[in-house]
Amino acid sequence: MSTPPTAKRRNQTLLRYARAFRSPRGIIGAGTLLALVVVALAAPLIGPGGYDQQTSQTLVGASGQHLFGTDELGRDILVRTVYGLRTDLSLILTAVPVSLVIGTLMGLSGAVSKALGALTQRLLDIILGFPGLVLGVIIVMIIGQGWWALFFALVFAGLPGFGRMARAGLLSEQDRDYVLAARVLGVSTGRRIRRHILPNIVDPLLVQTAIFMVVAIFIEAGLSIVGLGIEPPAPSLGAMLNVGARYATTHPSYVLGPGMVLLLLALSFTLLSDALNEAAIKR
Amino acid sequence: MTAEAPLLRVAGLRTEFHTAEGVVRAVDDVSFDIAPGEILGIVGESGSGKSVTARSILGMVHEPGRVVAGQISYRGRDLRTLPPKAMRPIRGREIGLVFQDPQSALNPVMTVRDQISEALTVHGMGRAAARERALELLEQVGIPDARRRADDYPHQFSGGMRQRVVIAIALANNPSLLIADEPTTALDVTIQAQILRLLGRLRHELGVAVLMITHDMGVVAETCDRLVVMYGGRVLERGTVEDVFRAPKSPYTHDLLAAMPRLSSDSAGARRLPSIPGAPPDPAHLPPGCPFEPRCRLAVDACAEKMPSLTVFSVDHAAACHVTAGGASIPVLDSPPAPPRRRAEGDRRPILEVTDLRINVANGRRGLWGRQDPVYAVDGVSLQVHPGETLGLVGESGCGKSTLARAIVGINEPASGAITVRTGGAVQYVFQDPSASLNPRRTIRESIDEGLEAIGVPAAERYDESVRLLERVGLNARHLERLPYAFSGGQRQRVGIARALAAKPELLVLDEPVSALDVSIQAQIINLLESLRDELDLGYLFIAHDLSVVRHLSDRIAVMYLGGIVETGEVATVYGDPRHPYTAALLASSPHPDPAAKHRERIVLTGDLPSPKNPPSGCRFRTRCPIGPIVHSDRTICIEQRPALRPAPNGAHVACHFPGELRNGEA
Repeated sequence: MSTPPTAKRRNQTLLRYARAFRSPRGIIGAGTLLALVVVALAAPLIGPGGYDQQTSQTLVGASGQHLFGTDELGRDILVRTVYGLRTDLSLILTAVPVSLVIGTLMGLSGAVSKALGALTQRLLDIILGFPGLVLGVIIVMIIGQGWWALFFALVFAGLPGFGRMARAGLLSEQDRDYVLAARVLGVSTGRRIRRHILPNIVDPLLVQTAIFMVVAIFIEAGLSIVGLGIEPPAPSLGAMLNVGARYATTHPSYVLGPGMVLLLLALSFTLLSDALNEAAIKR
Repeated sequence: MTAEAPLLRVAGLRTEFHTAEGVVRAVDDVSFDIAPGEILGIVGESGSGKSVTARSILGMVHEPGRVVAGQISYRGRDLRTLPPKAMRPIRGREIGLVFQDPQSALNPVMTVRDQISEALTVHGMGRAAARERALELLEQVGIPDARRRADDYPHQFSGGMRQRVVIAIALANNPSLLIADEPTTALDVTIQAQILRLLGRLRHELGVAVLMITHDMGVVAETCDRLVVMYGGRVLERGTVEDVFRAPKSPYTHDLLAAMPRLSSDSAGARRLPSIPGAPPDPAHLPPGCPFEPRCRLAVDACAEKMPSLTVFSVDHAAACHVTAGGASIPVLDSPPAPPRRRAEGDRRPILEVTDLRINVANGRRGLWGRQDPVYAVDGVSLQVHPGETLGLVGESGCGKSTLARAIVGINEPASGAITVRTGGAVQYVFQDPSASLNPRRTIRESIDEGLEAIGVPAAERYDESVRLLERVGLNARHLERLPYAFSGGQRQRVGIARALAAKPELLVLDEPVSALDVSIQAQIINLLESLRDELDLGYLFIAHDLSVVRHLSDRIAVMYLGGIVETGEVATVYGDPRHPYTAALLASSPHPDPAAKHRERIVLTGDLPSPKNPPSGCRFRTRCPIGPIVHSDRTICIEQRPALRPAPNGAHVACHFPGELRNGEA
């Protein structure tokens, strides 16, 4: 009689999200993403020589030997695409959750004191004021080009979205009677947030996470196109598109290969965010 | 009944909602007539089907609801068989509709004149004529200075004035029938009195009939000619207001009337309120027989098996009851005696002392040119609450009573003055809306645990303590692991009280704890609060707008107006001999559930509560005061000096320059 059934209810919340993966969109989105992750993990099997192995055949079209053809240095584009996907996935799947956590904490900081809340909001406004590219340039200037620069650029770019969403949730939830009741009982701020406010803002934050993953793909591509992306010869999908675009008329497979993968990645996140959103609304 | 043909005749109406869980019969076999120029009240609690009845008449039942049987005949035409297109000219032109919430019934981006003219032009009137008529209507519903205000937007009007505009729209096409769905529930008592008086006047001037949907027996007694009592989708009783109130023939009506606290009650304190056990039925799970049977103290076997048909007792009085149909009379509903209150033992010092408190509710945001002016929602309030005692705090919305209450429990910051709680004494708060005050995702046990945890009860002892608390408020261990949605409103309020008690308070701040509950539940909660106070020696600060509830539960009372206390004293003194004109007006405006009091002299205040942003100089009540400078131009002292609370000869304290000049019932 005294075991708390909280665990059961937590399972129900999980079940609700599990429902998201039962809808057609959820299945296709999750399936595509899973396939892409598997392919990215299998990169050393697909290209045992690594992404920088050059051959004498430069810029050949799609063939049985090189499915997407080769690039201007004679490297297999399929292998580079798979390694590029690896870069992108490693960036997105780490930077976005980090951004989610920091942004949410910043958004909720208003619960500690009004002044702190106002201060973090102004900070987020400043970040929002910089276009993504300028933000990228500044970060590259500070820490130099590479994976970490992209990582930080993505983390910063996500903060305003997550921060504002968390703050909106905090503001609408903190004046609810049951939150006030907890306050009158003397429940600490941290507990109040964890028990009464967070569960109510998880839904919009999860959806925002999936949406921002799509945005992150394009931020990476954008920074690579202006040459601030990952340092060559390491590949990323964005950087490959950047170079491939030069040969678009003569060797279309150069852009089409990485482009298609990028599209699939974006599509999988979009479908996932849709499915999550639907599950969140249905509740 | 009148010899005239009825304006509207509803016969055998049945409305059902076909949901995934099954068929919900919201309205079943409902019949009534309305004669031209008559006011008919349909009274019922939540789920009684009263609002669905009104919607059925207008052909406005929402999906998946459907009128499945019966006749709705308006001037001889059956509205049920009319195609939607033919229904349109009837809705709005022949039958006007007044909504409960004037806030959402008006479009915020259209001027009131445009909204009224729209009601006219859609039925074919020219624009210019419609604008003229709009002005006339605004004057008719008593908007002062109508010509100047016609082009204002809804937000520039107060709640009462907005409701007048809504009525003006409903009246625009000279309808023969107004359907008013809880037209005064969202309004304060002094404003409610104005609107009810307006409806009565319109009936006399325009001969419009009114179908008034309400939960408030007091409103019915004050305004209606006849009433229909609904419960669980059925009509349990109908008749003239005089007949039904004098000799109700349905046990439900009888007990409901008996359970209402009265303004004039003398038994306060000596006895508990008589109460009806249980809660109104869920329309999705109605009992097979009479819907009231599970709660009825007179029920016999037949009641559980078969819904009784209406028995006619006199020309215009009928009730559906197996017991009274056989000629049995309804015995008096017992009011349990209250155990003697223990006093005078232990520490008798006040638990709470508030001294000269001011609370600034301006949001403190700096404008471009410096700090915003302060807005004192509470301005110079002092009060005390002793152990085992209830201080009733009464006032209309906007008077600052909730701001004050929230400051006492630490939610609002005082600007100046002091709130002193006796050492070791804890203060807890009970909220108005029990469904909003419980986290819908957390079980009752988790909600109560939170309070126990906060005062440091070790986890191992919390289960037993929670069960004790639940039993204390009339629930039990079986309820612990349920989520709030599984409870009725009254049960949720019991949980809210248990949670407050978990923190072992000496003082409870009760902010309108029964006003969101069904009438038949209110008495249960009031009795519970009373026995908890007496057993645990709790002090209560009881905030309410309903003067009869306050009277029953309170020892002393404080009347607030625009941030200040205008009168305070022993309950019997203040109710029996109000010295402040505002107190007198409040008492006079409260509806009495007694048709005999219908024609009493009433002080109906004009105008609305001014904004605390810009309070009147001197006495804050002077802009509405029936004995102040708006009537006696020589009383400049009211404009110049704010009256202090001074002792009156009857022992109360009154803040008025001319105390005692206006009494209850004198105008």
